[in-house]
Amino acid sequence: MNVIQELKKSLPSGSVISDKEQCTPYECDGLSAYRQTPLAVVLPHNIDQIITILAICKRFNTPVITRGSGTGLAGGALPLANGIVLGLSKMNKIISIDPLARTAVLQPGVRNISVTQAVEAYGLYYAPDPSSQVACSIGGNVAENSGGVHCLKYGLTVHNVLSITMVNMAGDIIKLDEKDDGVDLLALLNGSEGLLGIIVEVKVKLLPKPDTAQLVMAGFSSVSACADAVTSVLEQGIIPAGLEMMDKFSIMAAEEYAKVGYPLDAEALLLCEVDGSFDQVKVDTQRISTILEQAGATSLRVSQNEAERVALWQGRKNAFPAVGRFSPDYYCMDGTIPRKRLAFVLQEIEKLSIKYQLQVANVFHAGDGNLHPLILYDANVPGQLHQTEKFGAEILKLCLDVGGTITGEHGVGVEKLDSMCHQFATPELEIFHGIKNVFDSTGLMNPGKAIPTLHRCAEVGQMHVHNNQLPFPELERF
Amino acid sequence: MSEPWINQICDQVKQAAFEQRTVQIAGNHTKVPLENGFEEVSLTQNVSATGIVDYEPSELVVTVKAGTLLADLKAELAQHKQMLGFEPPEYGGSTIGGTYACALTGPSRPFRGVLRDFVLGAKIIDGRGQPLAFGGKMIKNVAGYDVSRMLAGSKGSMAVITELSLKVLPLVEEVTYCKAIPESDAIVLMNKMAGTTLPLSGCAYYEGLFYYRVFGEHPKQTDVTACTNDIWLTLNPFKPKLQAHQKLWRVDTEGPAPSIPNTLAVGMCGQRRWVVSEDAPAEYSTLWQSYFSPRHNDTSPIANIKAGLKNVFDPSNVFKTL
Repeated sequence: MNVIQELKKSLPSGSVISDKEQCTPYECDGLSAYRQTPLAVVLPHNIDQIITILAICKRFNTPVITRGSGTGLAGGALPLANGIVLGLSKMNKIISIDPLARTAVLQPGVRNISVTQAVEAYGLYYAPDPSSQVACSIGGNVAENSGGVHCLKYGLTVHNVLSITMVNMAGDIIKLDEKDDGVDLLALLNGSEGLLGIIVEVKVKLLPKPDTAQLVMAGFSSVSACADAVTSVLEQGIIPAGLEMMDKFSIMAAEEYAKVGYPLDAEALLLCEVDGSFDQVKVDTQRISTILEQAGATSLRVSQNEAERVALWQGRKNAFPAVGRFSPDYYCMDGTIPRKRLAFVLQEIEKLSIKYQLQVANVFHAGDGNLHPLILYDANVPGQLHQTEKFGAEILKLCLDVGGTITGEHGVGVEKLDSMCHQFATPELEIFHGIKNVFDSTGLMNPGKAIPTLHRCAEVGQMHVHNNQLPFPELERF
Repeated sequence: MSEPWINQICDQVKQAAFEQRTVQIAGNHTKVPLENGFEEVSLTQNVSATGIVDYEPSELVVTVKAGTLLADLKAELAQHKQMLGFEPPEYGGSTIGGTYACALTGPSRPFRGVLRDFVLGAKIIDGRGQPLAFGGKMIKNVAGYDVSRMLAGSKGSMAVITELSLKVLPLVEEVTYCKAIPESDAIVLMNKMAGTTLPLSGCAYYEGLFYYRVFGEHPKQTDVTACTNDIWLTLNPFKPKLQAHQKLWRVDTEGPAPSIPNTLAVGMCGQRRWVVSEDAPAEYSTLWQSYFSPRHNDTSPIANIKAGLKNVFDPSNVFKTL
């Protein structure tokens, strides 16, 4: 009996998909440039079934790739030909809500937006809001430590998770709680990209819904003036709920798509939102308007009501599909840099755009320095995807060179494995492999993702040479 | 190339590993006294191990050496109208490294987050005597496992922390109000208030009074008395006068959980209770005597994971095992 037969025998009818055609929708996540049909897709309804699946996979030495809603952008849920996809979409119940404690306990397949919708009646909401929040799942959010527009003020997923229940490859059910003593395992699980355990339950923090929110939109005649304005806002002690920037191309594309009244003469656009009590928002909006005027804004608009605020966001929220209309394909990067280097980095990206002959649109979470350059390409042109990947890797290297990081909110997945070799030296990578081994000594949980092998880094040529001792001297060098 | 003081500690750790000795990492001994039989790895005796490495207020990030006194760090931030959002307790000469090692967070915890929420990166020396760097200076960074947040609370058992990068927040004006109500009512009330948009930054119950602290623009408060902010220094750190035989426990609970007998103080929307008791009064209880005792109530898989991680970072057991 093989692994598929065993899974089918042990699970309810319909839980195992092994037909190649039916497996096709699972061949990639949001990073569709990488595709692989899995051996099978298994869709459990509960924790007991997950334990059964893991036991069978362990017996047959079959890799397990956990998948939420498949909205990840770094190939973290890319299947393996000899592995199963463990889809958690059927475990999508809100287990409990405690309005007084301001918490909710969720199964991993609950969609992000569903949490806020479920607790709206209590005047509460769930703060982390990835752009894919209408589709993405809480389990996936935890696995990727997802961010969103409101990260600067309200934090990433890790800041809003109070406990996680996970199942390890041995079938143990392990609950990690913020109240635990000693090393912070709860923090470690956030962003672990499916390599350490299957997340089966999540308790999240809920926040009181702000009385009001107001958006200030400002156009600038240069990217550097816009970047300086961001610095001025933060220096004045204001932490906006959202602080987003777009370059000229993105402004034009978004306006053509959403028609919300963005200033087409601007070289850069800043969207700055404040939220909270009526009194505080009134004060902050006035202060921000003054700061942006003093920073040289060429146009300024303050939302006068909720409908206008939502409408002005529509351009930004649809910037990716808007830009996508100008090219058959685009590749969304995700690096983070110190804000003060923003103008320099954008200049360098422009140079790379000329070098690779590929157009770029820049959209960023300016408040936390998280860039999302969109590289436009055509996958049908031979070699252009490869050029795009090289371009993207150079952007990430640039982020590192100015003191940043290769991923702010998308994760590493398979996409940024080589870039990890730039960011981390061999000793740190060895620690990462050690951590993985503690949680999963079988190596069957999402193998080949997030943490590059040392062999791979040696091939990339980013070896850390300590005391002139070459690591892996047995490897042939080119 | 590492700085000389880093190299000194690396050599000290390597030597201890070679000689199969155990070392105890210490800042200013404000929380943990040096125990007999342990060699000290000191972060404050060497002046090079203190000081701010990098600080740009507009980036909302400060990078600081672990031996830096909390008071010095807070004073520098205050000069730029910024603060540590986790409001760490000051034990009189506390260091930022020791505060991180013990994962200590003050009254603002339910509103602004715990210490590790503000950690962006850490430089450490592991049990092999290797200098390592995890995380960075970015507010958003999800590359690799989050080791710098994981080590918050490791109490010197895994690695020597040499440098930390922390997110900072704008310094805000705060005012405190109080009123007399029963403890159980106060616990419910503080949770109800936390579910509103009132900009709270602290709430507590102590000696018959319910206290809450508010920042920024807020509606006029009625039926309460305006108090000084001193109550937050009384509760953070909490050092009540006890009889010699009494044991003080810090209990971490669900916020609205019912009152616990013999509670001296309630903080953080009820998430923290200080209780005098002979035995552990609840599940997440830590005996809180003159120094920080680790809590040993991990179930088997978690205990195994922690032991495994200890082995990853410190395979020769150089650092004091908890």
